[in-house]
Amino acid sequence: MSLLGIAWRNIRQRALTSSLTALSMALGVALVVTTLVTGGVVKQAFESGAGLGYNMIVGAKGSPLQLVLNSVYLISKPIENISWDTYTAFLPAAERADGTDGIWAASTQTAVPICMGDYYRGHRVVGTNAAYFDRLSRGDGQPFAFSSGENFRDDDRYAAVIGSQVADTLDIAVGDAIAPTHGADDGKVHDPFRVVGILARTDTPVDRGVFVNMEGFYLQDGHAKPVAAAPADEGTENEGADEAAAAAPGDGRLPYSQREVTAILLETAALPGLPAELTAMGLRNAINEGRDAQAALPIAEIRVLLDLFVTPLELLFLLVTTLVVIVSSIGILVSMVGSALERSRDVAIMRALGARRRVVLATVLIEAILLAAVGGGCGWLLGHGVVGLIGPWIATNAGVTAGFLSFTPAEALLVPFLIVLAILAALLPAVAAYRTDVARWLG
Amino acid sequence: MTTAFSSPQNSPASAPVIELAGVRKSFVVPGSEPLTILDIPSFRVAAGELVALEGQSGSGKSTLLNVISGIMRPDAGRVTIGGIDIMKLSEPQRDRLRADRIGLVFQQFNLLPGFTALENVLVAMAFGSRPTDRGRAETLLQAVGLGERLHHKPAALSIGQQQRVAVARALANRPRVLLADEPTASIDPAHQQQVIDLLQTTCRTEGVALLVVTHAPDVASQFPVRYRLEDFNLAAAAHAPAPGVQS
Repeated sequence: MSLLGIAWRNIRQRALTSSLTALSMALGVALVVTTLVTGGVVKQAFESGAGLGYNMIVGAKGSPLQLVLNSVYLISKPIENISWDTYTAFLPAAERADGTDGIWAASTQTAVPICMGDYYRGHRVVGTNAAYFDRLSRGDGQPFAFSSGENFRDDDRYAAVIGSQVADTLDIAVGDAIAPTHGADDGKVHDPFRVVGILARTDTPVDRGVFVNMEGFYLQDGHAKPVAAAPADEGTENEGADEAAAAAPGDGRLPYSQREVTAILLETAALPGLPAELTAMGLRNAINEGRDAQAALPIAEIRVLLDLFVTPLELLFLLVTTLVVIVSSIGILVSMVGSALERSRDVAIMRALGARRRVVLATVLIEAILLAAVGGGCGWLLGHGVVGLIGPWIATNAGVTAGFLSFTPAEALLVPFLIVLAILAALLPAVAAYRTDVARWLG
Repeated sequence: MTTAFSSPQNSPASAPVIELAGVRKSFVVPGSEPLTILDIPSFRVAAGELVALEGQSGSGKSTLLNVISGIMRPDAGRVTIGGIDIMKLSEPQRDRLRADRIGLVFQQFNLLPGFTALENVLVAMAFGSRPTDRGRAETLLQAVGLGERLHHKPAALSIGQQQRVAVARALANRPRVLLADEPTASIDPAHQQQVIDLLQTTCRTEGVALLVVTHAPDVASQFPVRYRLEDFNLAAAAHAPAPGVQS
C-alpha cells in the first residue's frame, strides 16, 4: 500500500471534515477563477477588439470612448450620426459620385461605413458594406472566415452576415430570414434580411453582431434622413461633392442626400515621406479641429479604459478573492490540526507497526496536497461553470464573450499556489504527527 | 518499583531471538526521585519459543514490550533482536527492524478504523522491507478465519474478529518474534481461549517466537515457558534464577 493510498484512506475516514475542507477551498478557488477569467476575457476582448484591421474611428462629436465602445464593441448607448459627405471625404475618386478624390482620401487606405440603431433579438444590427469583411481583418491580421455561406454582395440589398455567437445563440443558419427591430424596445419590425453567411468564431465583438447590407438598412422605415432637415454641405470642404451627394442613385436605393452614417472605420495610409503614425496623428488632429466629426484611436481609448477602470477593479477583486483563498487555507489548518488530534492514536499505531517519522509526516502532507488538489480542481471546474453560466449575461451587458472554456494564464498558478498554502497549513499537524509519542498513545 | 523475573518453567535450547542484558528503565516524576520501572539483568527468548510473562498491572509489562520493540529506549543495558543490538541503531533503523522482525498485538487491538481488515494487514506490509504481498495478507486473514470478512472495517467486526485481524497484521511481514500485550484482556472469557489458541497455533505455523504479557495466571499457565514479573527490586529479590534469566 502506497503512502498515497494511506493518505487517501485517512481522508476517507474523515469524510465529512475532509469534504467541508475541500468545499471551502473549492469555493475560494471558484471565486478567484471567476474573477480572473471574467477580468481576463474583458481585457482580452477589449485588446483584441482594438485591432480589427482599422486604427481610427470617425464619428459624431462627443465622447471618444463611447464612440469606440459603440462602433468596435457594439455596446454602450447609441451615438449620433455624421453626414454621408463626411464619409465620402475619405473615399478615392473611383468610389465617389463626383469622380474626384475626397479630401482625406490620400491619408486613407480603407474606409468602411457603419450604421447602427437597430437590434435583432437583443443583438446589435450593423448596416455596412461588403468591404467590412473583405478589407478589414478579424483582429489578429487574419481575414474573416465563414463557417458557412459567404459575405454579402453590395448589390444584394437584403442580405445579412451574422456573428458566430448570434448564430449559436439564436440557432440561425444560412438561408434564414431575420427581421431587425427599430431600436431596442419599440418593437417596430423592419423588412427581413436573408442570412447569406455565418462568420467563423473570432473571439471579438464581431461574434455578437448582426451585419446587414446598408443599402437595405437605409430603405427601412425611419432610417432616411428627412430631406427638409438635411443640412447644406457647408461642413464639407469638398465643394465638388455637393451635387453628386444630393443625387439619387437612381436604382431604388436611398439618395445620398438622405443618408447618414454612425461611424467610419478607418485604416490610415502613410503619406509619401511620412511615417504611418505621423499621418494618422495628423489626420486625427485635422478631423478633430473641424466641426463635423471627431476621430478616435481605439487602442488609446481602450488603454485609458483599462488603466482607469478594468485593471484597478480586477486588482481589487483579485485582492478580495486572494484573501478568500488564504482564509480557506486557514480553514485547512484548523481542519488538519483538529484531525491531527483525532489521528494521534492512528499515527501511534502506524509508528508501532514500523512507520518511520518521516513517513507519517509525509502522509499528513500528502493528505493536505490531495485535499488542495481535489478542492482546487473542483473549484476550478466550478469557477468555469459559473463563468459559463453567467457568460450570456456578461455578453449581453458587457459585450464580452465568456464561456466555460475561457481561460487566463494566471489560472495555471492557482492550484499550485493553493497546494503550497495547504502544505504550509499542514506543516503544524504534520510535525505533531512526526513527534507523536507512541508509548503514550498505545500504553 | 522495579521488575524481576521468577518462576521459570523450562529453558530454551536454541539461539535467542530476544536477548536483554542489564536493562534498566526509569521515569522521571516531577518533585521526586526517578522511578525505576525495569531492572533486568538478563532475559532471553529463543526462536520459535512460546513464552508468557505474568505480572500485575503497573509491574512494567508494557514498558518491557516497548523496550524490546524499540519504541522506547532503556536508560542502560543491551537489547538484541535476532542478534542485532537495537541500542546501536538509529531511530529509523529501529523502526525498520520493528516493521520487519517484530509483530505487535495490543490489548485494544489498535486497528486503523478507516481501513478494512485486509488494508490493516497491507498497511503493516507497507512499512516493511518486503514488497506488499496481497496474497499473503489474504492467506493470513483466511488462516485466522476471516476469509469472508476481508473488506469489513473494524467497526463491522466483533471484538474477537478484530483481535484476529490484529494477529494477522502482526504476522504480515514474517517477523521473528510476536509481542502480545494483554491480548485477552478485552475479550470475554468464552473467547479468551480461542485467542490464545490462535496465537500459539499461528506462531507455531509461522515459526515465530511468541512473548505474551498478561496479568492472568490462567492465561500464563497455558504457555510452555512462563515468567512472573514482581513488584520489587530484582537485586533484593529472593527468587531463584530462572531459565532465560541471569541474575
